[in-house]
Amino acid sequence: MLALAGIDLSVGDGEFVALVGPSGCGKSTLLRILAGLIEPSAGSARVHGEEPQPARRSHAIGLVTQDPGLLPWRTVEGNVALPLEVTGASADVPALLGRVGIADFAAYHPRELSGGMRQRVALARALAHGPRLLLMDEPFGSLDEFSREEMGLELLRIWERDRTSVLFVTHSIREAVLLADRVLVMSPQPGRIVADLPITLDRPRSQELDQTSQFADLVFATRRAMGGRP
Amino acid sequence: MSDGPRSAPPGTPPRAVPEFADLLESSEWVATPSSGNRGLPRAGEIAGAVLPALVAATLALALWELWVRARDIKEYLVPAPTAVGQALFDDPSRFIEAGSVSLTHALGGLLIGTGAAFLLAVVMAHSRVLERALYPLAILVKVTPVVAVAPLFLIWFGFNAWPKLLVAGLITFFPMLVNAVTGLRTIDPSAYDFMRALDASKWQVFWKLRLPASLPYVLAALRISVPLSLIGAVVAEWFAADSGVGQIIVIANGDLDTPVLFAAVTMLALIGVTLTGAVAYIERRVLFWHESSSGV
Repeated sequence: MLALAGIDLSVGDGEFVALVGPSGCGKSTLLRILAGLIEPSAGSARVHGEEPQPARRSHAIGLVTQDPGLLPWRTVEGNVALPLEVTGASADVPALLGRVGIADFAAYHPRELSGGMRQRVALARALAHGPRLLLMDEPFGSLDEFSREEMGLELLRIWERDRTSVLFVTHSIREAVLLADRVLVMSPQPGRIVADLPITLDRPRSQELDQTSQFADLVFATRRAMGGRP
Repeated sequence: MSDGPRSAPPGTPPRAVPEFADLLESSEWVATPSSGNRGLPRAGEIAGAVLPALVAATLALALWELWVRARDIKEYLVPAPTAVGQALFDDPSRFIEAGSVSLTHALGGLLIGTGAAFLLAVVMAHSRVLERALYPLAILVKVTPVVAVAPLFLIWFGFNAWPKLLVAGLITFFPMLVNAVTGLRTIDPSAYDFMRALDASKWQVFWKLRLPASLPYVLAALRISVPLSLIGAVVAEWFAADSGVGQIIVIANGDLDTPVLFAAVTMLALIGVTLTGAVAYIERRVLFWHESSSGV
């Protein structure tokens, strides 16, 4: 079965790109190909001009998934130090914890934290070794709506500082429009990109943005590109 | 920030008299750095939990004593608890020496059996082909009753510690093998993906992910294997009849010296309870992070 077809996707340097689409359209598969976790049966992919495998070997990628996959036996600090141990890179872990707002929880274990806090740890862990591309697979998908919006804006605040390129997979159109510079719309069977919409909203973005007609127009345009009823 | 730590604040006072089961399962026994509660429960809590069991045991022993005396049961059939105690205290060094020999056999065998099983599990967890090749052999080891191989080991290795160590090792081998393979395979797929996206080596994945993830299974296997190792050691001692509590049992059985027989069994029970308690203690210390220690 053909899962993905003729996908041409690029993330510019320092760009925040969101990939939206219904469940099962292959957006996670695409992300896993880019992370070098699975090989495409045909075709090729490039991450910063490199194929995914060499990019993976040069530690160019930071991964955040919906289930954060923290190591329960390690403290928050120990979890964030994991990529440093694996790659041999060095980083100021306490400063990193401060950046994502979990400095006070360095000695906690993951099971003592809420879902939102765990995703902060996962984000700090993904950034620790200084990746050039941050791949995020529905990172806030299992959070409640309030934490979800808050975490999105937190992510933007953290991202504004050093503008790592981000590919953010989500099935929420509003989340995609709120966060991204560009929204790529995928449609299923076979998964393909059917629209590439620039999001012209000013940064820094805020919660109040969704009250504006500009925001509503962009959400409407994205939904129409997905082929759904507006 | 709306989201914070979910657990109860550290230092929440425990209930005054916890149930015995609570005390075994309670997270208050669990060492978590943030809870600041690394120690054992207070003396009052232990008394509260152990007292009912002690009272019940004392009552049972008293009833047994009364029954034996009232019905005038022959000592070679069922000795009274006092007679068993007398047998123990007549020659305590005999039981302590035999007990420590059996303990050495059991623990040595446990080390050999579970150690070998764990190493094999590491190999099998990494290769399906080797798993398919070796698993039937492991089953063969499992289904062969140790009682049947004990005399064979005696012929092969003679009257020394080896037959005991090997029988104890053999009986503990399979539970560790099966659990360790499962544990080494049961890793969080997201954590595995994260490590692979960082190009982690197989060794790093093993050391930082598989090994810690297998600990709950390995310790569960130990809980099963510890009493088994004692059985294995005593069975082998029985056949050799040259040392350990097994020897005492064989001799006392031949003499129809039932109080000594009961004393030997008491000795084994004490060793078994102590070892099981030790494993439970290690489990609580090591697995503070695991769901099994959450006490819910």
